[in-house]
Amino acid sequence: MSSHRLFRFPKPQWLNSANTRTAGVYTAGALFSLGFYMFIDAATYSKSALNGSDPAVHITFVDWIPAICSALGMLVINSIDKSRLSADSFSYSGNGVAWKARLVLFLGFALMAGGLAGAVTVLVLKYVVPEYVFPTLWMGVANVIANALIMLSSVVLWVSQNMEDEYTYNLAL
Amino acid sequence: MAGLKTIIALSFVLAIGFLLVILSSALWHNFYPLLVVATYVIAPLPNWICGRASNSDDFMESSGNGVLDFGRFLTGFFVVMGIALPALLAHCAIIETSAMVMSIIGGLLIYGTIISFTMFFQEEQEF
Repeated sequence: MSSHRLFRFPKPQWLNSANTRTAGVYTAGALFSLGFYMFIDAATYSKSALNGSDPAVHITFVDWIPAICSALGMLVINSIDKSRLSADSFSYSGNGVAWKARLVLFLGFALMAGGLAGAVTVLVLKYVVPEYVFPTLWMGVANVIANALIMLSSVVLWVSQNMEDEYTYNLAL
Repeated sequence: MAGLKTIIALSFVLAIGFLLVILSSALWHNFYPLLVVATYVIAPLPNWICGRASNSDDFMESSGNGVLDFGRFLTGFFVVMGIALPALLAHCAIIETSAMVMSIIGGLLIYGTIISFTMFFQEEQEF
């Protein structure tokens, strides 16, 4: 296995242990929670007494759409069995399973990237162009931060689940 | 060997944690910080349930690991929720800042008690 390496530096040993994988999954949950509550904070702030924007600006359904897209994308990406992505190289799985898996994965990544882009769009069109100042601007900024954190959480979950595959693979051989 | 002293110390810490959380709600007649207690009581549950749901006998079977990971994900979610929820309430001026600090410290004490309790008494079951 070590002769098939591509890069000059080997992967550090701690990256393959089961503990790192467990910590990665916990970290992913923590990051998702942080992002989720960042957005809920903006929504609560919009309804609280602190929201003193003169023409009243509130979180409406438009602000929710990017977060919903990101969460759906995360669900799609992480519900795919990772071993199916390279399934065509094995002889026993026919019918283009890998092709379907890659298509669904592409949809998931598109949803997630669309969520982040949508958050930036909402920030620019709803909060920056009408030139709101900071307490109001926070509602847009929190939306972007929340979507970025959900994306980061998904990345961490993906990496740690791939780590698990290699771990069991090392154990099997 | 976790003895009687450990149980007494843990129960003291648990009582202090509950005292802090209840004080943070009752001092301002605003009972939102009690949600922290509910969060931290729920937090270890997904790990236990999903640990039972996935059969650990055949770990080469990759189907059981997804359930386990989902439980861990939910646990991480709930642990951060216990800190983020008082911060959210304080940022939106629903509770006072000092109530936020008290409820976060109390919640962490309660969760630490639950975790160390399971850690101390899990090892005895294996023998």
